[in-house]
Amino acid sequence: MPDAKQLRKLAGDWLKQRRADAELSQADLAARLGLKYYTFISQVENGFSRVPTEIMGAWAKELGIEQAAFAKHLLMYYEPELHRLLFGAERK
Amino acid sequence: MSVVAFERKQNTGEWSERELTTILAALSVATAPGTGREWETGVTEMGDVQFYLLSPLPDQACELCVSRVGGRYVLEDGMGRLLFEHRSLDLVALHAKAAVPSTSWLMVRAITLWCAVRSALHEKAEPWLVEGEELFVQFVPQLAAFA
Repeated sequence: MPDAKQLRKLAGDWLKQRRADAELSQADLAARLGLKYYTFISQVENGFSRVPTEIMGAWAKELGIEQAAFAKHLLMYYEPELHRLLFGAERK
Repeated sequence: MSVVAFERKQNTGEWSERELTTILAALSVATAPGTGREWETGVTEMGDVQFYLLSPLPDQACELCVSRVGGRYVLEDGMGRLLFEHRSLDLVALHAKAAVPSTSWLMVRAITLWCAVRSALHEKAEPWLVEGEELFVQFVPQLAAFA
């Protein structure tokens, strides 16, 4: 099983791809989330931090993803055991 | 003919040795052997450099992040909270040093908690102690008379 750092990196890669699909730059997304600097988006996408729960909904909205599906998908990386208990084993 | 002296473009590209030395010197206690902390560098999609201070295993999550954006240094925590920003890396590094969750901070919390518990216990036990003392004062002369 990958460690927490590797899983966060996988989450970051997924987020980066979804942002590209939404045709947003890191700076665009940061501005829409009300962040002064876009550096936190990079921090998350590089796998060093998680998407904070309090802005998860807004992050999903800006990427055009249904909020529950977004949270559920991120939980698979951030809390894999909790995700397994809640939703059973799923393909990523 | 006048020549416009363009300012030399500074503070772009990879971290310089001086910059890394400044950050690491400020975080020397936080990254000392035995703390379990590590650090890494990265870049944003626009090529701005970032320095990440990582928590110990197993999580190794970002505790602090210093980024250089357009000649300014930006200090954020792992939740994206903006802690400080300035053109001077020395100042930002000082703030980074102060922002690191430290053992001494935990010790202060633990001592405060212990004092609170002790104070609460003392308040509860005080009436019992006073009562015992009064009984003692009453009975000692009588016991002495018997002796």
